[in-house]
This record gives sequence, structure tokens and C-alpha cells, in this order.
Amino acid sequence: MRRTQRQRDIRTAYLLLSPAVLLLLTVLAYPVGWEVWTSLTSLSPLQEGATAFVGLQNYSQHLEDPQFWRTAAVTVVYAVVTIAAKLALGLGFALLLARPFRGRTLVFLAIFLPWAYPASVSVMGWYWTLNPPIPTAYAAFMGHVKYSVDSAFGGGAWVFVSATLFNIWRGSSFIGVLLLAGINGIPPELFEYALLETKSPWQRFRMVTMPLLKPFLALGAFLSLTSAFSDIANVWMLTAGRIVFPVLGTQAYWLAINGGQFGPASALSLLLVPFLLGALLLLFRLFDSPEREAA
Amino acid sequence: MNPRPWWTKLGHLSLILLATVYCVFPVYFMLVQSLKTAQEDVFGNPFIVLHPTFESFEELFEGRGEGRGVIGSTLRRAYPFLDWLENTLFVFAGTLAITLSVSLAAAYALGRLRPPGFRWWRRAIFATYVIPQTILFVPLYRVVIVLGLDDSLLALLLVYPTMALPFCVWLLSAYFQHLPREIEESALIEGASRATAFFRIILPMSRPVLVACGIFTLGTAASDFTIASLFLMSGHNQTIPAGLGTMEVALDELAAVAGINLMALPVILICALFARGYVRGLTAAMVEGV
Repeated sequence: MRRTQRQRDIRTAYLLLSPAVLLLLTVLAYPVGWEVWTSLTSLSPLQEGATAFVGLQNYSQHLEDPQFWRTAAVTVVYAVVTIAAKLALGLGFALLLARPFRGRTLVFLAIFLPWAYPASVSVMGWYWTLNPPIPTAYAAFMGHVKYSVDSAFGGGAWVFVSATLFNIWRGSSFIGVLLLAGINGIPPELFEYALLETKSPWQRFRMVTMPLLKPFLALGAFLSLTSAFSDIANVWMLTAGRIVFPVLGTQAYWLAINGGQFGPASALSLLLVPFLLGALLLLFRLFDSPEREAA
Repeated sequence: MNPRPWWTKLGHLSLILLATVYCVFPVYFMLVQSLKTAQEDVFGNPFIVLHPTFESFEELFEGRGEGRGVIGSTLRRAYPFLDWLENTLFVFAGTLAITLSVSLAAAYALGRLRPPGFRWWRRAIFATYVIPQTILFVPLYRVVIVLGLDDSLLALLLVYPTMALPFCVWLLSAYFQHLPREIEESALIEGASRATAFFRIILPMSRPVLVACGIFTLGTAASDFTIASLFLMSGHNQTIPAGLGTMEVALDELAAVAGINLMALPVILICALFARGYVRGLTAAMVEGV
């Protein structure tokens, strides 16, 4: 009797899981499989004749190309800088909001605003503000900033900086709220106990708040990694590829759509995945720590 | 506790002020621009608006005809903003419904029924975040075409849920897993089915977490510009972001900014209404009951 109940539960479980799995298979697994296969071939809509299997040639071609390493470096620097800035700012916001003060609700809503403001459109406002196309009152000033940054760091630098600033602005809000949820989950008794046992606020922060926030920090870092790429893709799409500092994802799109080189483009996209996998493994290490599994 | 010295208070206050300005200023700036006349946009002070007007907003809803007046020698075209608005509402509502129901089902399976290897299922679903949709344009487009969904809003209803699903499944299943077994058991012993126990007991309990998932889903769907503008070609099929992306900003900067604000306002209001619930839900899912 018990046994059949359990078996029925398991069958129900698979049934309930199936819509989610089906969605992920169609929208993620199939495309990824297609990219893996294509990255091993010379598939191109421009090419006549049969598609040839070329093995790892597309990959080795990228790895030998200095342009690839420049793109990879930009990608990694972009990811690291935005994540560090977002975590630092977000932690600051969460700590500011942790203690009650007059008007806290309003400040909380203000800090929630950058994330709540739909990024699909705020990125346009942000972009056209920092790179104004027409003689608005601030165009001359922004133009001046743009040219001085571009002449210092190379063409397209300012556009890239704007995208980075945008991602930090939006992401710090998300992480701030997420960490606030983490702080709210810390039992107050723990803080009272810590107050007796530790000497300085810094020590309390380091010994009590930080360890308890660790899973939230890891989660925030990981989620913001995904948003970092979608934000930059938004800007890139908006400007029809005018960002001259390409990251791996956008560069691959360019290769595929403008160059018609599906094989190399797929290889380039997939070269991003090892970085992201590393980040994910780190997250699982931090979040699903052994003590928690046992509980 | 002894009162804190004045300089600590002052420091705290100025930090709060700084954070608020940093967060709100860009939004304020966009709002100010959208209320300006063309005259003030060019010659006025960029930070304030002296003669606020809703002209730019009205412009969005004007005539569905072809032309909309001429600047220099360029014809300004009219934008089907009402269609965009309708499409956006449809996509957001659909995405929310699909994401929440699909993740509830999956999370219940993983958190309560616990089939063999449920931890690995959970991790695998969450791990799909590793692949940003933005590197999958080309094959994604193939899927959309095979399903006959190109230039259709349904394509977005296929893609958006998968962008929010992993997090929602993860959050909800963590919450379900933390709920003690006894909660359902008494109902099950009294002869209720699992489904009844779910709808009567578990679902009402998990409201804060559902709110958190809902806000996250809304935020995710509202943050996409790339996929919408890639899959939706014809003007009347576009969502607001995709449509605004096609606007000629050099000519229609003010109308575009007005459109940005029109899209943002309802989303912000919903987020603000549920902001507290969002935080509570995140806390509940990740901390409580461990």
C-alpha cells in the first residue's frame, strides 16, 4: 500500500515536471545542441554545396585569433567589474536599509526603482541621454564627455562605459533588495548575542552578517551575471551593433548574421560557456553547503 | 543603547541621501525630458521643466495614418502605440500565467513529492541560467520558425517563461522543501487528495513566495528588448520596447521618452505595490524553516 502510494507520487512528480522540462528543452537544450553541432561544421547560408564536418577547426581558428582574446578579455573584465560594483553597492544599500529610520519605506522604494523600471526601455533613455543624437540642452556637454573618453580609450569606449554604468545602476538595485531579504532573515537574537560578544561593528559585520549573507551574495552574483549579458545585448541591439567593444555573445551574433558564418559564430558563443559554468560551480559550492544538505 | 554621536547620524543621513539620488536621478531625468516642449528641450535647463506639457504623450496616440507632420524634409511617421500597449499587456500577462503555473507544478514535484534525484533536477533546472538566451539567437530563431511563430507574440510567450522559470522553480521548491511534512499529512489522513491539500493548504501558505516569483518574472520579461525586437517584425505586432526601438530618435526623441515613461509607469506601480511582499517572499523561501 505505502509502496504504491510512493510510486504514484513519483509518477505525479514527473508529470508535474514535464511542462518545465519541455519548455527548457525547446528553448534551451535544442538550440544549445544545434550550436554544438554547428560549431563543428562549416554551415553557412552563403555557402554553396554540402556542409562539411570540420571538427574543432572553428575553435582553434578563434583561439589563434588575437581578436578573440581581446573580445574574451573585454567580456571577463566587463563581468568582473560589473559584478564587483553591483555587490559592493548592493551590500551598501542593504546595510543602509537594515536598521529602521524615519522614511525608510520611501528610501527602500527609491532603491528598488532602478530594477523595477523596465530595463527594456530604461536602457533606451539611458543610452540616448549619455549619447544624445540631437541638439538637446545637454547634448554638447555629453558629446564633450564622449569624445574625451573615446580619445583616451579608443573609439566606442564611452558607449561601452554607458552600458556598464547602466548595468551597475540596475543590478545594484536588484542585489540590494536581495541582500535586504537576506538580512531580514537573520534572527534578531543572533544580533543581540553578537552585540555582547563582539567589540566593534566591523567585527560584527565580518563575523555575523557576512557569513549569513554568503548564499545571498552568491545568488546575487550569479543572477547578475546573466543580466550583465542581457543588458549589453540590449544596448548592442539598440545601436545596431555600434558598440565597438564587443563581448563574446554579441560578437558571435555579428559573425552569424552579418558574416553568415554559422559555424565559427556558434563556436564563439560556446566559448563563453566555460566561464559561466565556472561561476555556477562556485555558486553551488557556496550555496548548497554540506551542513545545509544534511539538515 | 547609548545615543550615537552626531557625526555618525550625519554620515548615515548623507549616505541615505546619496543612495536615493543615485537610484532616482536617471528616472527623474527621463520624466523631466518627457514633459518638455521641443523648444525647452533644446534651449532650457536639462534638469528642470518650466512649462510641463503632455504633448509628447498625446503624440503617441495621434492618428494611425501615415504621416504626422514634417520636420525639415523628413516625414514623421505615426506609431501604432495602442497596438504596442495591447501587445505588451498580453505578453506580460501570458508570461506571468505560464511561468507561475509551470514553476508551481515543477516546484511542488521537487519540493514535496521528491522523485529520485530531485536535488539534481533542481540544480539542472537552475543551471540553465548558465546559457544566456542572447547567445542562442540563431537556433532560437529556427525553433520559432519551425513552430510557425515568427512575427508572433506567442514566440515571446515561449521564450520569456524560460528566462524566469529557473529562478522561480528554485525559489518555490526551496520553500516547499522547508515546509514540514505534517502540514499536508493531517489533510491526507482525513482522505483529502494531494491536489486538494495543495490548493487548500500549500498554495495559500506560499503566497509571499509566489509574489516574489511574480515580481521577478515581470521584471525579467520587462527587461528584454533584444528578443522582442528580433522576433517581432511588423509594426502592429510589436511590444512597446520593440516598437520604441524602431523609432527615429533623432526626430522623435521626446515622443520616445514619453513612450518609455508610459511603459514604465504601470510596471513600477505594480512593483511598488508588491515591493514589501517581494522581500518577504525572498526571505521566506531562502531562510525560514531551515
